[in-house]
Amino acid sequence: MMPSGWRIRTVLWGVNLTTAALANAQVPAHESRPPGQRLYGVHCLSCHQADGGGVPNMQPAIAGGTWVTGDARALALFVMTGGFDSASRKDSDVGNVMPPFRQLADADLAEILTYIRQKFGGGASPMTAAEVAEARRSLPASP
Amino acid sequence: MRTACLARVASMALMPALAGVAFGAQGNENSDGLTLPDGFSAVVVQEGQGTGRHLAVAANGDVYLAGRNGLSALRDTNGDGKADVVTPFGDVKGTEVRIFKNWLYVSDDVGVYRYPLKKGEFAPVGTRETVVSEFPKERQHSDKTFALDTKGALYVNVGAPSNSCQQKDRQEGSLGQNPCPILEKYGGVWVFDGTKLNQTPANGRRFATGMRNAVAIEWNAAQNALFAVIHGRDSLDTLFPALYNAEDNAIRQAEEFHQIVDGGDYGWPYTFFDTKLGKRVLAPEYGGDAKKEPEAGKYPDPLVAYPAHWAPNDLLFYSGKNFPAKYQDGAFIAFHGSWNRAPEPQAGYKVVFQPMKDGKPNGAYEVFADGFAGEMKDNSPRNAQYRPVGLGVGPDGSLYVSDSQKGRVWRISYGKK
Repeated sequence: MMPSGWRIRTVLWGVNLTTAALANAQVPAHESRPPGQRLYGVHCLSCHQADGGGVPNMQPAIAGGTWVTGDARALALFVMTGGFDSASRKDSDVGNVMPPFRQLADADLAEILTYIRQKFGGGASPMTAAEVAEARRSLPASP
Repeated sequence: MRTACLARVASMALMPALAGVAFGAQGNENSDGLTLPDGFSAVVVQEGQGTGRHLAVAANGDVYLAGRNGLSALRDTNGDGKADVVTPFGDVKGTEVRIFKNWLYVSDDVGVYRYPLKKGEFAPVGTRETVVSEFPKERQHSDKTFALDTKGALYVNVGAPSNSCQQKDRQEGSLGQNPCPILEKYGGVWVFDGTKLNQTPANGRRFATGMRNAVAIEWNAAQNALFAVIHGRDSLDTLFPALYNAEDNAIRQAEEFHQIVDGGDYGWPYTFFDTKLGKRVLAPEYGGDAKKEPEAGKYPDPLVAYPAHWAPNDLLFYSGKNFPAKYQDGAFIAFHGSWNRAPEPQAGYKVVFQPMKDGKPNGAYEVFADGFAGEMKDNSPRNAQYRPVGLGVGPDGSLYVSDSQKGRVWRISYGKK
């Protein structure tokens, strides 16, 4: 019997490659949106919505919030680790818990984080792939 | 035998149902801007009690509105349809409210309660009693909507605190737990004796399973049967991008209308009914490849498969005397409207009429009331003007509709100005 943890890791590793490949492969020739906006559309928009306002009782707003206006490295760490630590909190006013997006490439995460900080964070500072990579190195090994 | 029968009905009703039928006139001055069929008009009963949820109408026309902010009693004293007296009462903040005999049954996320409702009494003043309490407090799909049959059996929707029972909820690529342990306590309907007090979930019995979240649940007295319209799953594309794209996610996973039978299993989380293929398929978390089907006959096809993400939040079988004959015994469904269709345009936000005969669909559904959402800036549900969420029938046969954005309540009547 294969340990279930092994199975999960395999799936996640598989997705790492698949997601990065798909994100790049799916760029239409006529795409005019900045990469960050396009990647936000792929990974974030369905929950947080195009205007970053979220959905009441379901997913929180990010526009104007402290995550996008505050420390960029902290934001990168939160997006990579997700909100699973808050799953045990039963008093939250939103239903859904954010999954981790650690599977995304440094460059793609940098584009998304820069986009949401500039679009929804009042022009907060951009983030580079190197800065994401540095934050990633501080995380424990993949679960 | 029953499954085969259901499948036949579904195949008959499905294709026209998926297309939908636009019906009726544009909004006019007698409809508060709503689009209604010819001959119908709408009056705003009231607005301003916050986030409305379900409602119930007493034999004397008093309206009881549940809400996230609490309960309200509404009374029209001069017969113009508008509430002249609005009285908040009680201490229950939740979704469901139903009248059974001389009781007003209500619920929140963790329990079902009742207030004595003496004949002619407006806002109940008696002590609240607990019928069932101690449902686990959850964040997702936690509204304990319910139905009561004519004998007082209480059927409680216990929604699954999960999208698709993945090992990691809503995480890309995470596989499903098999068997899904959530189904032991959630994801189905539990039945209780609704006339007994101080029960816990342990006093109930799992009546049906495989139901992700059946917010719209109702007893059909004429058929002596339970029905529900179930919220289908989310996020096919973001969880399994190699199998589904955003357009697939926007359209394929049906909101399923079922007759709920004792011991029934309606397929969540292992399957969903795919509106594009017109058949039930295995969920990608459970070996699905966007076309592979589950074992034949294991789960019933829906009576009707409604479009993905429309969010059916209330169900009502019409037995009033005001509407034309074709509405008799048919079902009204309040669709709260989507959030998970983005980036595709949001959809739903309307009240649908489902013609029925002898408890079976009898033709394609019709959009009965539309125009609730308005412009909906940025394609965001937050910016919907109104979102229909609850349904009730008044003693004169008018249909009442409640809204979750501002707590507006409409009375929709036929043949009145």
